[in-house]
Amino acid sequence: MTTMQAPRPTQRARESRLDDDVVPLHLYGLRRGTTTLVTAIAVLFALFILAPLVWLVINATKTQANVYQTFGFWFARPFKLFENFSALFKNASGAGVYAKWLANTAVYAVAGGVGATALSAFAGYGFARYSFRGSKAMFYLVMSTLLVPITAVALPLYLVYAKVHLINSIWGMVLPSMVAPVGVYLMRTYIDATVPRELIEAARIDGASEIGVFFKVALPLMVPGLVTVLLLSVVAVWNNYFLPLIIFSRNSSYPLTVGLASLSHAAETGSKAQLVPVLIAGGLVTIAPLILLFFLLEKYFRRGALQGSLTG
Amino acid sequence: MDDELAAPPRSSTSDRSTEQGPHLAPHRKRARRAVRRDGYGAIFISPFVLALTLFMIVPIGYAIYESLYTTKLIGGTSYSGFANYRAVLSSAQFWDGAKRVAVFAVVQVPLTIGIAAFFAALFDAGVSRFGKLLRTIYFMPFAVPAVVASVMWSFLLLPHLGPFSKLADAIGFHNTNFFSTKLILPTIIVMVIWEWTGYNMTILFTSLRAVPRTVTEAALLDGASLWTIIWRVKIPMVRPAIVMLCFVNAVGALQLFTEPQILAAFQPQAVSFGFTPSLYVYNTAIGSAEYNLGAAAAVVLGLLIGAVSIGSMGLRRRNGEFA
Repeated sequence: MTTMQAPRPTQRARESRLDDDVVPLHLYGLRRGTTTLVTAIAVLFALFILAPLVWLVINATKTQANVYQTFGFWFARPFKLFENFSALFKNASGAGVYAKWLANTAVYAVAGGVGATALSAFAGYGFARYSFRGSKAMFYLVMSTLLVPITAVALPLYLVYAKVHLINSIWGMVLPSMVAPVGVYLMRTYIDATVPRELIEAARIDGASEIGVFFKVALPLMVPGLVTVLLLSVVAVWNNYFLPLIIFSRNSSYPLTVGLASLSHAAETGSKAQLVPVLIAGGLVTIAPLILLFFLLEKYFRRGALQGSLTG
Repeated sequence: MDDELAAPPRSSTSDRSTEQGPHLAPHRKRARRAVRRDGYGAIFISPFVLALTLFMIVPIGYAIYESLYTTKLIGGTSYSGFANYRAVLSSAQFWDGAKRVAVFAVVQVPLTIGIAAFFAALFDAGVSRFGKLLRTIYFMPFAVPAVVASVMWSFLLLPHLGPFSKLADAIGFHNTNFFSTKLILPTIIVMVIWEWTGYNMTILFTSLRAVPRTVTEAALLDGASLWTIIWRVKIPMVRPAIVMLCFVNAVGALQLFTEPQILAAFQPQAVSFGFTPSLYVYNTAIGSAEYNLGAAAAVVLGLLIGAVSIGSMGLRRRNGEFA
């Protein structure tokens, strides 16, 4: 600790640099029209990204016949948005109750996300600020589980659940969602960058217990990192399809993803009419909360990406 | 923070000297306390390790055990050694799917990362107008579950009725069926590019922004053009991020499942039983209720993806990059 260390740039300084500290464009001496051409290409790609989302919003307002017969990227009469929403929440499909799926998804995502964040915070702190016997080997073991494909875990979970009667149980979904090796990795790097060892040592000298140091000294400094891990894990559970598809056989336990898949199957193969716009409205309600969350908390998503890239 | 900075430097050096003084704590006592304290590290990681053991390691162990048995309707369960593995490895359907995801990965991964790097570099230099808005739009599909993305694209590309099929018809490609056996893989590649380019672009953009401004300025002074700076200076500097993305995208591509599984509901003839290895596992274990065979297939898939991961990590090591 005798060497002088250059002060680390604070998170805020790093973030503002993302948008401000740019070499002025005219220094590149670009030919005239380059900016326009590049902008045009970038806007075209943005249209490609937006097209399906715009289609989803517009067609959630249509009747089934109009979904197929009218121009996909403009509205058509009659305006059926509210009818489609109410059909969605009144089990028009017979495939299950959409409101229940929405509630299930929220429970799975929040419980799984909070659990994943808590476990990642503890483990990340343990790895970042202690060196106990076998800690390095353990960290490599945790990181190597990142390579295990979800397909190779979901089916084994199903086989175990069948033995211990966890099929269709909330816990069968929530508990495995708490295992997030990426979260451990992100928390470890975040703690390394933001929780000074000297501060921990000072708190110890003041007589704080190890647990007390974690909750009173380290945790407040970890909050931005915690928010990032929480968001990433909530999104991961919200969008998870393979695990719930395998472990739930009762449609009242489904999350939105599996529910929508069964709805789309019913819309395509079933004889019940008018299901297609209901399915489209269901897709809209599924992505709306996440898009909203993402706009409100964009910088935290970006920070997660930043950490993953800088230290990876 | 401000208090720390405001503290006069002399007081901090005097603190350090007393802390290091020999009269404060006897050496051995201190070492023993440090060892006991480090035990807390194990306590902090134990909840995660417990969950990891119960919900990943134990199930995988159990699946390996199950894969060594065969259950017959008459005769019950009996040990069958590697019979299930022989069945999977000699299954044409399994290898058909494995080859398909290999082709898929070889095309989709470079395309996704290439497009992402192109836009990330141009946004980073500030060449495109509306950069911030466009970046936000590109990232939006990250919030869209693959199920919803697949449903949307299924309707957009529906033969005869989907807007994009009508568009193809209007510009001269009559009766284009994006779900035909020939076109279904390119169709899924476009869907996955739609889903993941923004995420890749965001990571590359943030890494590029982290390259110090002075690097660009020095290159400019040397007379480098924008394209030279991007290709020769900046992209090489974010190589670790690009390698990491190759790896993450490839592992994802080899597990391809949701998109073809949803498309199968719309176009059953285009998506076979073993269209991808993940579909093979699902259809075998859940569809046909052949759990032991499905378990063996899941283990084989896990080993194949693990082998690819370790192989690419070895490549990273050899290139002198941190794995």
